[in-house]
Amino acid sequence: MYGFNFLHIMIMIMLLIARRANTRQTRNQIRGPHSALTDFLASNNISAAQIHDDYQRRLREAETQANAEQQGNAEQGNAADNDDYEDDIRESPEEKKKRKRKEAATLAKIKQSKEFARRKARRIGEPDDDDDYIAREMMQERSRPLPGQLENCDSCSKRFTVTPYSKAGPYGGLLCAKCSKELGDKEKKSQPKKRGPRTTRRQNQSDLLDGIAQEGALSLVEMCTKKVADNINDIDEFGDLPSQLLRRLSQILSKRRAMTPRTLNLFLRPDLGFIDIYDSGKLETDDFEKIFTFMPALTHVNLRFAGQLKDRVIDYMLGRDLKIKHLQLDAANLVSDQRWQQMFKKLGGQLETLRLSNMDFSLDDETVEIVSKSCTGLRRLKLGDCWKISDRSLQAIANLKSLEHLSLSLISETKTENLVQLVSRIGSNLQTLSLQGFSLADDTLLEMIHSRCQLLTKLRFSDNSVCTDKGFVKLFENWSNPPLKFADFSSTRDVDNSNPDGPTDATGLASNGFAACMHHSGSMIRKLNIASCRHISYAAFEHVFGDGKSYPHLKELDVSFHTVIDDYLVGRIFRCCPAIQKIVAFACFNVRDARVPKGVMLIGGLRAQELV
Amino acid sequence: MSSSDPTQSEYVTLVSGDGFEFIIPRSAACVSGTIRRMLDPSSKFSEALSGRCVFENLSGVVLEKVCEYFCYNDKNKNQTNVPDMDIPPELCLELLMAADYLDT
Repeated sequence: MYGFNFLHIMIMIMLLIARRANTRQTRNQIRGPHSALTDFLASNNISAAQIHDDYQRRLREAETQANAEQQGNAEQGNAADNDDYEDDIRESPEEKKKRKRKEAATLAKIKQSKEFARRKARRIGEPDDDDDYIAREMMQERSRPLPGQLENCDSCSKRFTVTPYSKAGPYGGLLCAKCSKELGDKEKKSQPKKRGPRTTRRQNQSDLLDGIAQEGALSLVEMCTKKVADNINDIDEFGDLPSQLLRRLSQILSKRRAMTPRTLNLFLRPDLGFIDIYDSGKLETDDFEKIFTFMPALTHVNLRFAGQLKDRVIDYMLGRDLKIKHLQLDAANLVSDQRWQQMFKKLGGQLETLRLSNMDFSLDDETVEIVSKSCTGLRRLKLGDCWKISDRSLQAIANLKSLEHLSLSLISETKTENLVQLVSRIGSNLQTLSLQGFSLADDTLLEMIHSRCQLLTKLRFSDNSVCTDKGFVKLFENWSNPPLKFADFSSTRDVDNSNPDGPTDATGLASNGFAACMHHSGSMIRKLNIASCRHISYAAFEHVFGDGKSYPHLKELDVSFHTVIDDYLVGRIFRCCPAIQKIVAFACFNVRDARVPKGVMLIGGLRAQELV
Repeated sequence: MSSSDPTQSEYVTLVSGDGFEFIIPRSAACVSGTIRRMLDPSSKFSEALSGRCVFENLSGVVLEKVCEYFCYNDKNKNQTNVPDMDIPPELCLELLMAADYLDT
């Protein structure tokens, strides 16, 4: 009660000050003992009783005035709980006439209003486009309670306080907070999601990073594959989908992290010889066993992020007598070295490809020695991010005479002489040599590559700050190896913070080395990565991409962190490389307004213009 | 693919296994590698001579969607940020098989 009093007196004070009859709002009576505020007002010579009387008078005046409009509501019994109002219902015939007249006048007024015309226009043709109906509806709306008042909910009939957010109910009344919310939720759900053509800058950049820069529509195959991936949970089986589509689907699903045990079942077909799961993160140990149960014809096994692939699975796989030739496992770091050794002893003879990565503290030097002894026919070996592998492994790999492709990325530091020895013994047969993170290797390694390797098409030697520019020049000058198709010398540079310009005799692939590299391999090069080779000068770039130079096959170029590259040089690159598709230029702060030809991706430029 | 060849009409007819016929511009249909090779005049295939390709293994519903794609693709060529075509989920697997067959 106290709260009520206080509220109403506050309203009255406002009314008193405004001297305005703001009417037909409240019908609640004011009762109760004197409040502290009343006393306070009295002490300031303001009579609460006077205010109360004035208020009541205005209220009565307002009620009689609003009577005409509120007749509809009054009949519904809204006013029945108000003592003062009961008299109004029992009105005399004169009053009734008067009220009808007033109502007619109000209706006529409404019919001339703009809002009325608008509503009518909206409803033409609908069953409720009758003038009187609309006008009456509007009149009722006007007489709806205002915020702060109590009202019965139109839907659940509960008593509630009207707020500005109360929604209109189905019978013309208002809804309580709960019903309003429900109605709002329904409206939100029923609104269809609008997805216009993707033209935002953000979407463009996202597409670029995904490698999409083509014009026109996607191919129908690609579009359908995406759609199938969208609806993967409604699909019971793939039927005899061609294998390349299965691979693509696996890629898309893995990227979306949707390769679950259920989804995996779709890929298990006994007739297939391969399984490619690019993200096995959601698969359990049993699921891996299921793969080997359902697919007896497996020769290609490619399971990445296979954290739950444990000893049990290896045992099971070996028990199935599979003819696996190509094995790629990633992150299976719970397998013990004993099991690895068992596996290689058993499968070694038939393995042609072995790729193991992210094995952390699984897989040690001893196991690699077993690999080199057992896998006599191995042609492709890739070991990445296995923490325990070091010098002994390098010595062991040097015995794998059959290797054609070798890719090593070790964590522990190794001695240069072991690496040099390795290249000297098997280099002559290698087509791919990828050495990442051999930070101590020096020019002797480059010399050995120069003298031994004659069949290389792909050479990666990255993350090194010892080899010198002269070493790289010597590597490429008069090299009997045919031009490389793939070259990666990223992050070969001096990293002495106290001497930012580097030594006078440049470290890493610098101006001369870069020129020699392009001179040797420019005619065939497809992919070149020279990110962070920070001692290549502007003049060197100008020379390499100068007039008359052409690199007809170069498709991808990474020149990130070359701060000398500017719009002019990017333009020169476009001119010299007619087949270019992608230039990665992160942190090339001078690339500002480069004009990018259609269909070419320029990634990372500051304000690279949209397609020309 | 010489469109200037006077003996070649501008339109080709694609027929589904259940007998529906779709007449669409030759240039649009030749987005499909399979159809392009079928219609190559130097091949002297009957399809090339008659300008009529019958796909016994495609249903009318699927072929209709394929033709819709041909026109959608034709309309959107040389444009960037093309919105994806609407594909009903129940059709997507069949359509995927058809697209793979048609080399589209």
